[in-house]
Amino acid sequence: MWVAWSARTAALALLLGALHGAPTRGQEYDYYGWQAEPLHGRSYSKPPQCLDIPADLPLCHTVGYKRMRLPNLLEHESLAEVKQQASSWLPLLAKRCHSDTQVFLCSLFAPVCLDRPIYPCRSLCEAARAGCAPLMEAYGFPWPEMLHCHKFPLDNDLCIAVQFGHLPATAPPVTKICAQCEMEHSADGLMEQMCSSDFVVKMRIKEIKIDNGDRKLIGAQKKKKLLKAGPLKRKDTKKLVLHMKNGASCPCPQLDNLTGSFLVMGRKVEGQLLLTAVYRWDKKNKEMKFAVKFMFSYPCSLYYPFFYGAAEPH
Amino acid sequence: MLKLQGEDEAAQLAPRRARVPVPRPTAPDVSPSSARLGLACLLLLLLLTLPARVDTSWWYIGALGARVICDNIPGLVSRQRQLCQRYPDIMRSVGEGAREWIRECQHQFRHHRWNCTTLDRDHTVFGRAMLRSSREAAFVYAISSAGVVHAITRACSQGELSVCSCDPYTRGRHHDQRGDFDWGGCSDNIHYGVRFAKAFVDAKEKRLKDARALMNLHNNRCGRTAVRRFLKLECKCHGVSGSCTLRTCWRALSDFRRTGDYLRRRYDGAVQVTATQDGANFTAARQGYRHATRTDLVYFDNSPDYCVLDKAAGSLGTAGRVCSKTSKGTDGCEIMCCGRGYDTTRVTRVTQCECKFHWCCAVRCKECRNTVDVHTCKAPKKAEWLDQT
Repeated sequence: MWVAWSARTAALALLLGALHGAPTRGQEYDYYGWQAEPLHGRSYSKPPQCLDIPADLPLCHTVGYKRMRLPNLLEHESLAEVKQQASSWLPLLAKRCHSDTQVFLCSLFAPVCLDRPIYPCRSLCEAARAGCAPLMEAYGFPWPEMLHCHKFPLDNDLCIAVQFGHLPATAPPVTKICAQCEMEHSADGLMEQMCSSDFVVKMRIKEIKIDNGDRKLIGAQKKKKLLKAGPLKRKDTKKLVLHMKNGASCPCPQLDNLTGSFLVMGRKVEGQLLLTAVYRWDKKNKEMKFAVKFMFSYPCSLYYPFFYGAAEPH
Repeated sequence: MLKLQGEDEAAQLAPRRARVPVPRPTAPDVSPSSARLGLACLLLLLLLTLPARVDTSWWYIGALGARVICDNIPGLVSRQRQLCQRYPDIMRSVGEGAREWIRECQHQFRHHRWNCTTLDRDHTVFGRAMLRSSREAAFVYAISSAGVVHAITRACSQGELSVCSCDPYTRGRHHDQRGDFDWGGCSDNIHYGVRFAKAFVDAKEKRLKDARALMNLHNNRCGRTAVRRFLKLECKCHGVSGSCTLRTCWRALSDFRRTGDYLRRRYDGAVQVTATQDGANFTAARQGYRHATRTDLVYFDNSPDYCVLDKAAGSLGTAGRVCSKTSKGTDGCEIMCCGRGYDTTRVTRVTQCECKFHWCCAVRCKECRNTVDVHTCKAPKKAEWLDQT
């Protein structure tokens, strides 16, 4: 009896030892987003606190509730961090690319304060992404990893679903002008655009080609002036080809007629030149003249928005 | 052949008493003729265990709450008392950590006959269960040591301790398979946690140079090493519009549950050993048994069955324990109750259910009433005879 029991114990020990003899070794990464545990990130971090959404958090001040949870659901740990990161998203909100953009962004940046964290539903994320990702891509910004929709829970009773996206449109739908062709009229607005662009060039356009969903602007060889070089080298300007992302099927009044010169702004993204703004060059336009002359004196903000555009629908 | 670090210290250790495992039958027989034999075995066990060592421990620090007064902890040796008096804020963290590792121990053994129960107002914390050089003692020494590392490291990062802070050496630029990142935030200073835990927890074992001390030193180090295995990289993306072009990363402890799960697996695969003649190392307990490696928990003595109340063996018995009627595992009534049977009580519980989030903004729930059967183990028959011992 004793020997048999001992033998079984030994066999079990050997088996378990073999099973656990070489445990997997690997570095682990935690990227923040929705997680199954109620507390994510550091399990021993300070308990979340509840505070008023400040007036100087314009992204979320009018969202529909008054108190937010900190740390938020993007693991921003201080109000200063929330404000800094949220400021990038204000221009997107102004574009009104989806009626629930604010609900979605604020559910993460300034989540409502309840006894448990409430996450956006995956369908809300997908609706906001469907409406806004093409606009962001037009300016060369992919939909960010921290907002990837698979991070958010499938729709259930305890997540934030689409709120206003179901309502009928208040105005009959019209063909929207290309994002890159919306025009600033003030010198300040132009200089803000110049801040968020990598390069600014006065140039003539030889022809325009359609390339999948984009428009391609082929620059003419002559009469080219680099106003803000940024990442462009001399060889880059020899043969300028600018891509208007998602610009194949939207109207752009400035490009209806290619005679004369254009003021063009753009970014260099993965070796490709993306157009962010285009204006007809008008030597009589005092605002444009001022902006070009004093571009480098303008106090660009440290965390400038990825694009700056008019908010009013045309 | 296993060698502990610091051969000088190990060489000084010498076995004071050779321990012989006492075989126990799997099914206790309470017939009168066996009663005398059981009594004789009990007396022999008492003789073997009583003079072994002082049975108090620093574990009692967890019971003192915020009032950690060094002289109030009866289990401290002089070196531990010195550290306690010199670093009172670290002792506060160790005390809070003690409550956490005891809770973790009770979680890991919640479905077992021995379930890491602590005894209220008892300086030994676990009673006589830890006097036996059993597999359970190996686990407790490992997880208590791990708990100290975790508590101190966490307190360093939270800025609660004046003598330490975030890891000062983790800085600058680095990269992983996702690209470049900057070290930033607050990397957990596990080096400090490990060093202090070793100095404090091992102090007693280094004074008692016997085989049991050698076992404790080994299992303590297993616990400390286990915490380090679950140090992970955490990152934040803060490029333009939340992109991951700019990342700040830091090293962070994982939840202590992961360490508990790991040590529980080590407990399941613990290796029975004996001390070698020179007392400096372990050897396999029997021919054909596996030799212990540095990551194995080690023990000398087989465990009691923990079925009945046996104060000499540190067994509380399973009378009154909740069990599962349908389970075939260790939490099943047949195993948990050692074949004695169980009682059933009907209990009604009220819980929140069907919770919904409403815009904007509230979570509203309903109340649900559930009636469930709770099964508890019967007490053993002939309790009167056992009480007389």
